Amino acid sequence: MTTTPKETLQHKCPDLAEMSEFLYDEADLLDQTNLKDWIDLFSEDGTYWMPVVVGQIDPLNHISIFYDDKAMMQIRRHNLKHANAPSKEIDVRSSHIIGNVRIISFDEENGNCQVKSNFQAVVYYGTQTMFAGTYTHDLVKSNDKYLIRQKRVDLINCDASHSSIINYI
Amino acid sequence: MDIAEIKNLVEPTRIHRSIYTSTEIFDLEMERIFEKTWIYIGHESQIKNPGDYLTVNIGRRPAILVRDAKDNKIHVLHNQCTHRGAKVAGKTCGNARAFRCCYHGWTFKTDGKLAGIPHKVGYEATEINNKNPDLDLKKIRSESYRGFIFANLSMDGPDLKSFLGDAATSIDNMIERSPKGELEIAGGVLRFRHNCNWKFFVDNLNDTMHPMITHQSVGDACEAYVDELPEGEQQCKEAEIISPFGSSYKKFDEMGVSVGPNGHAFTGGTESIHSSYSDIPGYIEAMHKKYGEAKTSQILSINRHNTIFYPSLTIKGAIQAIRIVRPIAVNETEIETWTFRLKGAPDKMLQRTMLYSRLINSPSSMVGSDDLEAYVRLQEGLTSGGTDWVDMSRFTGREEHQDGNMIRAIGTSDISLRNQYQAWLDYMTKAKTREVA
Repeated sequence: MTTTPKETLQHKCPDLAEMSEFLYDEADLLDQTNLKDWIDLFSEDGTYWMPVVVGQIDPLNHISIFYDDKAMMQIRRHNLKHANAPSKEIDVRSSHIIGNVRIISFDEENGNCQVKSNFQAVVYYGTQTMFAGTYTHDLVKSNDKYLIRQKRVDLINCDASHSSIINYI
Repeated sequence: MDIAEIKNLVEPTRIHRSIYTSTEIFDLEMERIFEKTWIYIGHESQIKNPGDYLTVNIGRRPAILVRDAKDNKIHVLHNQCTHRGAKVAGKTCGNARAFRCCYHGWTFKTDGKLAGIPHKVGYEATEINNKNPDLDLKKIRSESYRGFIFANLSMDGPDLKSFLGDAATSIDNMIERSPKGELEIAGGVLRFRHNCNWKFFVDNLNDTMHPMITHQSVGDACEAYVDELPEGEQQCKEAEIISPFGSSYKKFDEMGVSVGPNGHAFTGGTESIHSSYSDIPGYIEAMHKKYGEAKTSQILSINRHNTIFYPSLTIKGAIQAIRIVRPIAVNETEIETWTFRLKGAPDKMLQRTMLYSRLINSPSSMVGSDDLEAYVRLQEGLTSGGTDWVDMSRFTGREEHQDGNMIRAIGTSDISLRNQYQAWLDYMTKAKTREVA
C-alpha cells in the first residue's frame, strides 16, 4: 500500500469492539457512581443531554430533563457524596446493558466520530426503575484517546411524568 | 365525614395528620376545592390559532380548553361525550375543527354544540337530536386574567379577578418584565411525579425554614466546585442559580412573606433568592425603550420568589416559570412546569429560564429531589399515626402588619401555612354550591 503525506495524517476508523468497550467502561463508571472518573471522560466543552421530547433539536430554548456542562457535572459530583443530601442517603445503584452499537459517522481528518447504541438501565433507589432508550455519543479524538463532547440520552418515555432521577443514566 | 369532624382537623396553629393521609379527605378535596374554585388550566398563547386545543383535568373532571374554530372565542368544555360518556379528545393538545367521539362517532363543534349523530334513523321522534342543547358538550365557567385562563366547575363564588386579589400583582409583574408587555409559553413542559400528597408541595413553596437544611448539600456542592476553580475564574451561571437555595435564615427573614384571601401568598418583595442574577445584555436597554428608566427600575425591583394561587398554580415572576399542581391520589401528585418567553427580550432570557427550570424544577434537579425526599418522609411518617398533629405555629401573631388587602410578615413565619389551611377549612366546610349550568 502506498502512502501519501496526506494519508499519514488520516485517522483510522475505530472498530466496533473498541467503541463498544468505551461505552461499557463509561456506563460502568456510572454503575460504580464514580463521577470523578466519569466526568474525566468528557472534553472541556462536553455536555450530557437528556431531551424531554422525541427528536428534540434545541437544548437551550426548549426544556430538557438534563443538559449539563462540565461545571454542573462537578456540582452534582460533590452533591452525590454529600453526607447531608436527603435524597442521597440511600445509595443509588444501577446496572447498564448496552447493545446495538453502531458507528454513525467518522471524520478521517480529525478522528472524531458519532456512535449510537441502545441501552437498558435498571436503577435501584428504594424502588427499582427501568430506563430504556438510545445513546448518541459524539466523540472527539484527543491524544490518541476519545473524549465525549456530548452524550445524548433519548429515553423512550422522555415525555412521561418521572420521579426523581438521582444520577446520570 | 361531617362538617363538625372536618372543623376539628384544623386548629389555629396546627392541623391533623389525616389531612394528608385520608383518602376520604382527598375525595372531599376534589369535590369541594378543585371542583369548586378557580383552577388554572392554561395560557392563551398555547391556543393561538382557531381550533387549537389542550386537554386537562379540573380536579377529576376531564376538560378541553379550545379556541373556537369559527369565531376565535375561548371555551372550556367537558371532555365527555353526551352519548355514552367517553372522553372525546384523547390527545394532550392538537388542532381540531370538531371533536368526534371515537366510539359511535357523535361529533361536536369546538363550541361544544352537537353537530352530528351517525345513522340517526334509530332516534326518530325522540329527544336524541342535535337540536337538543342537553346533548352539547357542557361549557365550564372560565375566565382569563391577562392571558392566564382559569376554569371553575361551580357557578357560585367570586369572579376570577376578585378571587386572585392582590396576589395577581405577581402576574402583572411577570408580564411587565416583557419589553413588549406580553408573555408566551415557550420550550415545552416538564412533568415531575411526586409520590406524596399535593399539599406537601404547596406547603413547601413558602416554607423558608427548610432550604438551609434540605438544600444545604446543594449550597455546599456549589462552594466545593467554586473552591476547585483555578484562581480568577468566574463561577458558572449554574452556581448563581443554585447557591441562593442555601441562603441564611437572616436572608429569608428579610425576604418577607405576604398572604391574602383564598389561601394565596408570596415570598419575597424587593429581595428574593432571584434578585442577584447577573444582567443579560440587551434586556435592560429593551426595557428602558418600552418603559423608561424609572418605571423599568420599579418593575425589576419587584423580586418575588413563589406566588401561590391556591390551590392549583404557583409562579416565579422573576424567572418566568410556573408550576401547576395536579393531584392524582391521596399520595400521588403531578407537578407540571411551564416556562414563558418575555416577548421582545433577548433569547438569553428564555435560556436562563430554561436553565433555572432544569436545575430546580426537573426530575433531575438536586433541589427538587431533596424536597421530594422530605415530602415522601412526611407522607410515610404521618401515615404511621405516631404523631397526630402537624405544627405551623412559627411567629404566630408576631412580626405581621396589614399591607393593602394582604398581611405582610417576617419571611420565616408559618403564616402562609396558617393562611392556606384557613382557606382549606373554608372550602371544605362550605354548604353545597351549584354545579355547572
